[in-house]
Amino acid sequence: MARDPVCGKEIDEAAVRAVTGQTAYGAPEVDPTKGTRRFHEGVWYYFDTLDCRSKFLASPDTYIKKAAS
Amino acid sequence: MNFDWTPEQEALRKEVRDFIRENMTKRLGGEMGEEMEEGADRERSRALRKKIGEKGWLAISWPKEYGGQGGDRMSQYIVEEEFARVGMGVGGGGSGAGAILGAGTEEQKRYFVPKVIAGEMSFCLGFTEPQGGADLAGLQCRAVRDGDFYTINGQKMFTSGAHNATHIYLMARTDPAAERHRGITILLVPMDTPGITVRPLWTVQNDPPAPPGTTYGMGRTNEVFFEDVRVPISCRLGDENMGWFIGAQGLNLDRVGASRYLISVHMDEDIINWAKESDLGGYSVKDDPAVRDKLAELWIEAQVCRLMTMRSMSIVQRDQDFTYEGSAEKVMAPEHGVTASEAISQILGPYAQLLNGSEGAVESGIYAHNLMGAFQSGINHGSVQIMRDQVARRGLGMPRG
Repeated sequence: MARDPVCGKEIDEAAVRAVTGQTAYGAPEVDPTKGTRRFHEGVWYYFDTLDCRSKFLASPDTYIKKAAS
Repeated sequence: MNFDWTPEQEALRKEVRDFIRENMTKRLGGEMGEEMEEGADRERSRALRKKIGEKGWLAISWPKEYGGQGGDRMSQYIVEEEFARVGMGVGGGGSGAGAILGAGTEEQKRYFVPKVIAGEMSFCLGFTEPQGGADLAGLQCRAVRDGDFYTINGQKMFTSGAHNATHIYLMARTDPAAERHRGITILLVPMDTPGITVRPLWTVQNDPPAPPGTTYGMGRTNEVFFEDVRVPISCRLGDENMGWFIGAQGLNLDRVGASRYLISVHMDEDIINWAKESDLGGYSVKDDPAVRDKLAELWIEAQVCRLMTMRSMSIVQRDQDFTYEGSAEKVMAPEHGVTASEAISQILGPYAQLLNGSEGAVESGIYAHNLMGAFQSGINHGSVQIMRDQVARRGLGMPRG
């Protein structure tokens, strides 16, 4: 399990990435209710909502430090 | 100066109108215009598109050797204008094919363009990223050259139609050391390439679903993730690191056409027709002086939008220098759309808040949904702020801001 660096909620990375469907022309689809993610400086971060991710993108270092502490 | 249509152009308009009356309803047109939507009946769309193609009305001004009709831009405009009234695009604007015609190899033009015209192939636009907003040049999605291949890693956001497109028209950074406008490359990537994942983003228009014909009524957009997506260099459009300039040219050409201004003007026509015919519990809307003044004002502004479009058409038709005109249209038309939707909501009062399916909703709540969608048009495909800056620089010769 990962932890959302903004809200602190536990996120199931496997569920975020799990393929639950397919687009009309063959791209795998995931379930958006499971959360989202962002690759930042070599690491995947997982988020509960887009709001959390937007806050993270505005000041990534703040939230990475907060999560580490 | 004569602004009249020629007899041939008038005859073409009549023929298209007759065809639409016989073959389409506004609802069907709206559904076809929203082929990207969930549950769209693509077979029915294709059958009607084929019929329209047999009339020679798809991509009239595009070259014959790539599936167009080799005709003039004004004829295409007339056909676009009539079909746009029933919510269907026939001109190829916004499809990405304009940029392929401009910058593609002969092989790419022959492979993509006829299929795009026939509706067998479609592009979603992989431009915006989560961190970037309207600052497209700040994109971080990387494509690393490895012999005859590129490996793509990154993420795109608000990728409308990714769930129904065959390809993504992707802007990726190929030279991170270069000045930010100069290190970008366009890649035309099939959506079923391994490593692509799509995450649905449901919009405010999804629940309840916006009725057909709503301005920016799409209930879904997407995030698209790229993880070690490997594509051959034949997917590249134009030269490496020149994607910004190819994309800008394509976008500017995409902005020319009837659909852009008609998106806004539809609302004016619909509310004027509604006001003429309706009474709200015995209150005659059309007799209210404030309403009449406002509708007249909207209509005048709509005609300015239309004239700006015609001017751009004329420039393109005469192969003259086309620099800022598309950007100017892209300010005027969306802002008119916002003004119109706000004015309509004032005219309708509390009825303007009732969405599709609500008891008492006016015209299936389309004006309420339009109000929610109109603001988007000032942001996507180049925000009105960016467009104003382009007009200042390219049109007025001001320095870069």
